[in-house]
Parts: sequence; structure tokens; C-alpha cells
Amino acid sequence: MLGWTGHMLRVNLSSRAAETETYGEEFAKKWVGGRGFAAKILWDELKPGIDPLGPENKFIVALGPIAGIPAPNTGKAVVAGKSPSTGGYGDGNLGTRVAEQLRRAGYDALIVEGKADRPTLLYIEDDRVEFLPADEVWGKGTYETNDWIYAKYGKSVGVLNIGQAGENLVRYAVVRSLEGRAGGRTGMGAVMGSKLLKAIVVKGTKAIPQADPAGMKKAGYDDLRRVHQIDKETGWSIQSTTGVLAWCNEVAALPVRNFRKTHHPDAWKCDGERLNNARIATYGCPNCTMRCGITIHDDEGRESELDYENIGLLGPNLEIFDLPEIGSLNYLCDDYGIDTMSGGCVLSFYADAVDHGAAPGDFRFGDAAAAKVLFAKIARREGEIGNILAEGCLRAARTFGHGSEDYAMQVKGLEVAAYNCKFIPGMALAFGVSPIGAHHKESWVITFELKQTSRDSYGPEKARKVIDLQRIRGGLFEYIVSCRFPWIELGWDLENYPKYFKLASGLDWTLDDFWTVSDRIYSLIKLFWLREYPRTNRRVDYPPAVWFDPANADTEGPIAGKVLDYDKYDGLLQHYYDLRGYDRRGIPTKATLERLGLAEEGKEAEAHSFLA
Amino acid sequence: MKITVKLIGPFIYAAAFSEKEINIPEGSTIESLLSLVKLAESRPKVITRNGKAIAPGETLEDGDRVVISPLYSGG
Repeated sequence: MLGWTGHMLRVNLSSRAAETETYGEEFAKKWVGGRGFAAKILWDELKPGIDPLGPENKFIVALGPIAGIPAPNTGKAVVAGKSPSTGGYGDGNLGTRVAEQLRRAGYDALIVEGKADRPTLLYIEDDRVEFLPADEVWGKGTYETNDWIYAKYGKSVGVLNIGQAGENLVRYAVVRSLEGRAGGRTGMGAVMGSKLLKAIVVKGTKAIPQADPAGMKKAGYDDLRRVHQIDKETGWSIQSTTGVLAWCNEVAALPVRNFRKTHHPDAWKCDGERLNNARIATYGCPNCTMRCGITIHDDEGRESELDYENIGLLGPNLEIFDLPEIGSLNYLCDDYGIDTMSGGCVLSFYADAVDHGAAPGDFRFGDAAAAKVLFAKIARREGEIGNILAEGCLRAARTFGHGSEDYAMQVKGLEVAAYNCKFIPGMALAFGVSPIGAHHKESWVITFELKQTSRDSYGPEKARKVIDLQRIRGGLFEYIVSCRFPWIELGWDLENYPKYFKLASGLDWTLDDFWTVSDRIYSLIKLFWLREYPRTNRRVDYPPAVWFDPANADTEGPIAGKVLDYDKYDGLLQHYYDLRGYDRRGIPTKATLERLGLAEEGKEAEAHSFLA
Repeated sequence: MKITVKLIGPFIYAAAFSEKEINIPEGSTIESLLSLVKLAESRPKVITRNGKAIAPGETLEDGDRVVISPLYSGG
């Protein structure tokens, strides 16, 4: 078997044992890697109903057949586990040298079990695994922790680590790597923290198995140069992802004031043009030639790396439009290891709840100084309010009551990314049916909705588009484990990925072969949710209630008077289920499971709820 | 008539302006406006008029705000 190492490393923090496990070609071809491996391992190994923050949960780092090999843009890893924020399947991806180093160490995945008896740094160097004390950096932020690690091991190792938020089990704590950015906004940092696992450091010295190493090397380096050239020609990375902020503001899709508004006259102050003007440096993940990380000086003189999502949700959504102030909030979230998106949504929800008399306190929109204080409290679960907000929007709303759940901007417990779908039905569906909660990484259809169809359509073409993009973004790129940006932002031909896959594995797959794997993984994740929530129904695939509320409609601008329609959204959701082969509850039918090679998993699911 | 043109992202640097008013004759279409903005025809674009998608051949009106964006894909 080429393309895969055929090995996974299983580490138990309770017993301090490490074991190399082998897997065969059948498993590799069925699940490919990354999200596919993670979903299958979690399905097979987790008992339903376990506490995501207990020692029974597992923390998985999973890579794919082209991960770590020089080619566009392969320096990424998937981190996964049962999500503390949703109680369902959770994962995320982040740029990190762990992708290359873990594969060079001889593994395609790392499975961490149990719980350490003290703060621990897990060190992996090829076949050697060490459990080292990390008390010195327990309680420290991710920047200081990374520096501490680099001082010990040099900067060529791969690092994953957590900040205070992960240690204190903030349900939307992320995993950080300064070689990239952050990942696992479904609370993967808290899963690490629950195991007293402060950091993972990986160094590998072996060759990554490839079917055609010379061909892969040539194609990889040639294509890295070509992607760089396209980026220069198009100018994409001048503003990177932040170019979309001004556009969202123009077309009424920007989150403003906890998504109450869709645009704001001051939004230009924190748009991509202003960010580029304030740029002090540019960063990218390993194996990236279209670097998207733009840094500025924040209002305390620190270097803060911004992108669209964190500006949108820490900025306009909190009615803060000063870039250095937004940069400061972003820096704090990164240092504490708080997900910037969920963090922004949690604070905007809190301000909204205070505004509506549902929550105690005096936090108001636009108050950056108070927001900083709140993030410090959340990261340490300090005081009653820090503790409540550390639980995320949905749980906080259930504590506050007074109908505040309607404007807790989340789906399945995961806070909404920075696109205001008050009147964008297809994107609302994309959030609704995302397999991990309201994340934009699975599918993003807004320009399609405006350009190639009608914004107010709830037709099957939108459900079809959501599925097409899920297969690529939430499927292919998440299990082959590579950044989607060359394709999504620069138009890099999708056919390049079967090419890389063939050079790595020797297997000649078509894109349709990959879509079958994508559908299989999505269906298995659905079964995971079903096993955790046997009474699940289509309501869990609905976006936040406030997007349907006529009282929340814009009073001026391009979508004045318009909000989503419940009946029509339900019809759109049914189109999605029909196209996917799911029943009316949103569960894959037996026929669908059999078609995707999931008959055995279907039998297990049947023990928890009937299948149609 | 006066049309405000707002460019998004990399188009700002390609056309060397971010936002400006352009004078065009009454009854001009979106295509005639585009011919005045130096952007490669080959670049896919999303064009809106007053925040709403615009159709090919659509006639503009005085005071319109036209936004020309690359085909963003949501990161």
C-alpha cells in the first residue's frame, strides 16, 4: 500500500502507553484520511453518551494521503473528537507542521486516549513517545507556550497546543499552532485540556510513502509555483479573505449587532482595504504559496493576525469598527485559545441579551474594553458570567431564559460563522445541515445565490449546490487533508487533486469516486449524531429562529422587510434530504447506507433509532 | 447621469480606484458602464446594483450604486 503509512499511533495518557497500530488498504480506500479516519475511529470506539470532557473521549489528529507532501497547500491537519460544544461529532482543521512531521514519523493518525495525572507535553519522534511535564506552561497562553516549545525543540518540529481556554474547558476552545493558525472550533482545545494535554510536539525523519515520488515532487513544486503566480496575477492575497467584508456589507450579508443588522455605514473602517493598508507582515501555513494571514499592530502594539471571519464576528457583529481594537480582541482569543468566531458570537449574544433585559450586567455593543475583560473571564471561567459564557451561546441562552435562545446565533450548539443569512436561504441551509454545526467550511453558496439563481428562491438548485460544495469542501479537502483555498479562491483546477492522489497512492480515481467517499463520511457523521441524539429530527437542521422573525427584518437597504420563510425553508431542507437519500428526519435511509457501504454501521444505528 | 461604482478586493488594485462616481449617458446599460472600468473581461465577476444582483443588459438609473466584486467563495 502506497500513499499511506499504514500506521496510526495510539497513546493512552492514563497508562502512559503508546502503541503503533496497522491498518490495511480496504480501510484506507474506504475512508482515505483526515475527517474520514476520524469519523470512523470515533464511531467505532466511542460509547454513545460519554462526556466529551471526560477521559472516555478521544482526541484525534488525522492526516491524508497528500498531507505534508510539498504540493498546494498540504500543510494541514484535522483534529477531531466528540464535541464539547455540540455533543455530536466535532472536528476542525488547521495549518501546522504536524502534518509533515507526523507522517515523517510514520503515522497517518494519532489517537489520544485517557487523561494524564498532570499537565503533559506529548513528544513524538519517530517510534519514540515521551510523556513530559508541562506544569511550567500550564496556565500560560498559546504564544508563550509555543515559544517555550520552540526554545526546547527548535522551530522545525510540529506543534499543537492549547491556551487557558482549553485548560479551563471552555466549550469553544481551539487547538493552536503558530505554524498555521487555529482549528477545532467545535471545542477540540477543551478536549485536549480535559486530558491535561497541554501540547503535542512531533518530529519525524522517515520518508513519506509515495507511489511516484519523483513525479509527486515535480508536480508539487511546479504547482506551488503556479498557484503563487495565479495569486500574484489575480491579486487575491492583497486582501485575502477580508476582501469579502466590503461585499457582504454591500449585499446585506454582514453580521452586525448580533446579526440583527446586515450592513453598517462604518464597516469600511475595518474592511480588507484598510487591513492591507495597516499590514505589517504576511503569514502562511506550511506548503502555502498564497499566504492569507495578514497581521497588524493591535491597540496595545502586539502583532495580531486577522482574516474575514474574526474581523466580522469580533468587529461589526459587536459594533466595533476600529481595526486595532478588533486586532486586540483577536490577539486575546488566539492567546487564550478561544475560537474567534464563537467568541465573537458569544459576546454579541451577551450584549443582545443584556439589551433585552434577559441577562445581568452592563455589557454593551461597541465596548471593546469590556469585551477584553470578558474574554479574560471566559478563558478562566472566572465569576458567574465568565462561567456561563464559557458554555457557548446555546447553553448560556438556556441559563438566561426570557426567549434569548431565539437570538443565540448557533446551529446544533456551534456558533454561526460571519455570514448573515437573514435573507440568504441557501446559505442558511448550508449552516443548517453542516455536519458539525454552523460552520462555513462545509459549503458556501452566497455568490451562487446572487449570481446564478434568485436570492429569494428556495428551489432544489440551492440544495444541489450545497451538496456539491459539501462533497468538495467538507469532503475531499477534509479527508485528503489539504487547504481548499487554491481551488476556491484562485480557481485551481479540481482535477489536480485526483492527480496528486494518484502520484501519492498509485490509485486512479475520478472525482466521482471521491464524491462517494464524501457522501459516506457525511452519512456516517449523521449516524454519529443519531446515536448521540436518538430522538433527533429535522428541527436540528434549522438555522437560528431570529432569521425567520419578521420583527427582525431590515428596515432599509436591499433586503428591507425580508426574512427567511419557515415553510419554504422546510421545503428547501426536504430537497436536500431527497437529494442526499435521507428520510424526513434527516437520517440516511437503509438503502442509502447500503449504497455507501455502511450497512454494518446502519445495524449499529438501528439499535438506537429506527432507520427508514 | 451619475453612477457610483464600488470595487471589491483585488479589483481595487487592478482598476486603480476603490470607489468613484462615473458620468454616463442616460439609458446606459451595465455593459457600457463596465467598458469604462479597466477590469479584464476574463475575470469572473459578481455585479450588484443597489445591493441586488443585476441582469445582463439591465439599464442603469441616475444615482445607482454598482458594486463589482470577484467571485468570492467564502474562504
